[in-house]
Amino acid sequence: MLRIGVRAGAVAVVALVAALVLGWPRLVPLSLVLLGGAYALYLAVDDAPLDAAASVFAAGLLVTAELAYWSLEERDAVPAERGEGLRRLGIVAALGACALVSSGGLLALADVARTRGLTVDLFGAAAAAVTLVSLALLARR
Amino acid sequence: MEGYAILAGAALLAALVLRRPELAVAAAPFALVLALGLRLARDPAVRVDLELAADRTLESSRLPAKLSVRSESGVDRLELLVDLPEGVGVADGDNATAVRLRRGEERTLSFDLRCEHWGVYDVGEIEVRARDLLRLVVWEERLRLRRTIKAYPQEQLLDRLLAPLETQARAGSDVARTKGDGIEYADLRAYVPGDRLRSINWRASARRDTLVVNERHPERNTDVVLFLDSFSDLRGPSRSTLDDAVRAAATLATRYLDRRDRVGLVAFGGVLRWVQPGLGVVQRFRLIETLLETGVEPTYTWRNVNVIPARILPSKALVLGLTPLVDPRFVAALQDLRARGYDVAVVEIDPIGVVQPESSEAERLAFRLWLLQREILRSRLLRLGIAVSRWSAGEPLEVAVEEVRTFRRHARLARV
Repeated sequence: MLRIGVRAGAVAVVALVAALVLGWPRLVPLSLVLLGGAYALYLAVDDAPLDAAASVFAAGLLVTAELAYWSLEERDAVPAERGEGLRRLGIVAALGACALVSSGGLLALADVARTRGLTVDLFGAAAAAVTLVSLALLARR
Repeated sequence: MEGYAILAGAALLAALVLRRPELAVAAAPFALVLALGLRLARDPAVRVDLELAADRTLESSRLPAKLSVRSESGVDRLELLVDLPEGVGVADGDNATAVRLRRGEERTLSFDLRCEHWGVYDVGEIEVRARDLLRLVVWEERLRLRRTIKAYPQEQLLDRLLAPLETQARAGSDVARTKGDGIEYADLRAYVPGDRLRSINWRASARRDTLVVNERHPERNTDVVLFLDSFSDLRGPSRSTLDDAVRAAATLATRYLDRRDRVGLVAFGGVLRWVQPGLGVVQRFRLIETLLETGVEPTYTWRNVNVIPARILPSKALVLGLTPLVDPRFVAALQDLRARGYDVAVVEIDPIGVVQPESSEAERLAFRLWLLQREILRSRLLRLGIAVSRWSAGEPLEVAVEEVRTFRRHARLARV
């Protein structure tokens, strides 16, 4: 299982490099899904109670995606105003920090709720479903 | 945006299936960014206007342009691309740029355009792309503002023009062959009652013991018809015979009109275009605008000069042919006009620089035969009394006109 995880991670890195070199934005989410899959395999194999590094992984994944899309946008080579790059870097850093804080908070909440049984599990599943439906509704707007 | 939605959905689903909260934690930032981005996204309400310093310019000259943009709701990154047609380039500045606009802010971006080639260009197509702060939502629009540039052909160096064999009745700058009131001295004759006293040549009268008066040549204008060959256009990487012909026609038209001559135009080809001979500045614009529309329309039908309306070709007019001498229909038309008594001269737009022989022996031989055929054609036209001079874009037009003038000075009357 671990070997599969390592291979999935390697394929993810190759897909990300291919996306950046060839300029194919559709490969970016694929590589990130593969990275997430490798992480999921690691969690399944390790079977640890709760991975404390999950929030760092989440923030890293988001920053990787943002940087990859930024790199692809720069291929258009439309000359921008001075300071545009620094401002974008600030936005990415702020997003990374927000991701770290929010996922850390969520991780702490998950740690508290982990031992509360089936009710909490059902509540979590309902929250996930509501999140998905909300995203779908917002996207349709 | 789709990428983040796929990631968030897949991670949440995996979290539920595997019962691992870490995967939901990994999905949370993506879901959060998506929710924030979609919530903050709003129509940028962009207004764009393109202003040109003029709608007419000379080819290869700079034409300043201003692109003004305004957003009612603000936009974090607004990418603008003025889509330029082939033949129009940017001389200074950028036709693609990205700006940030606050709510209600207006920006003006300046750049210079350059038309590499004469013609009519539509430069009003603008591609607008607006991105939000988190780069999740993109608005794209293609605007058609209908801005037209007319690039007039660059004029060639030309001081002396070709004088026609006969002049018209109106006053102008050409010395007529007839005698009348004018400045140029023509002859002496005996005084007759009614002659003006100031015409008397007192020195000659003293020598002959009788009154003698000066006769003079009057200054008259001429009718010139530019006869442009639009049957064929031989194109090379850097020049084309039709482009050169149009440049030469524009120069000749301007110079003749400056001398108060009447100038007309016949573009003889697949589509027949004409401008009746006329005078003045308005006529100049009329001629050049017609020249801008000139192009090659392929046709296989035989055309002769009967299709040209009679009023376009006034009697005693100088018909100045501008042709690469490639299409036999145009050559036949020149011969036909000469046979009808018109004063015809030809400036041959030299196609030799455009047509190059290939490497094989047979193709080189074919090229030499073609050159010989052209020589025969030229000598046939010369025998008919049609002066032919070769001109290519790198040389001054003055040389070609001088060549025609020299031929006409020494030519004898041709039997046609």
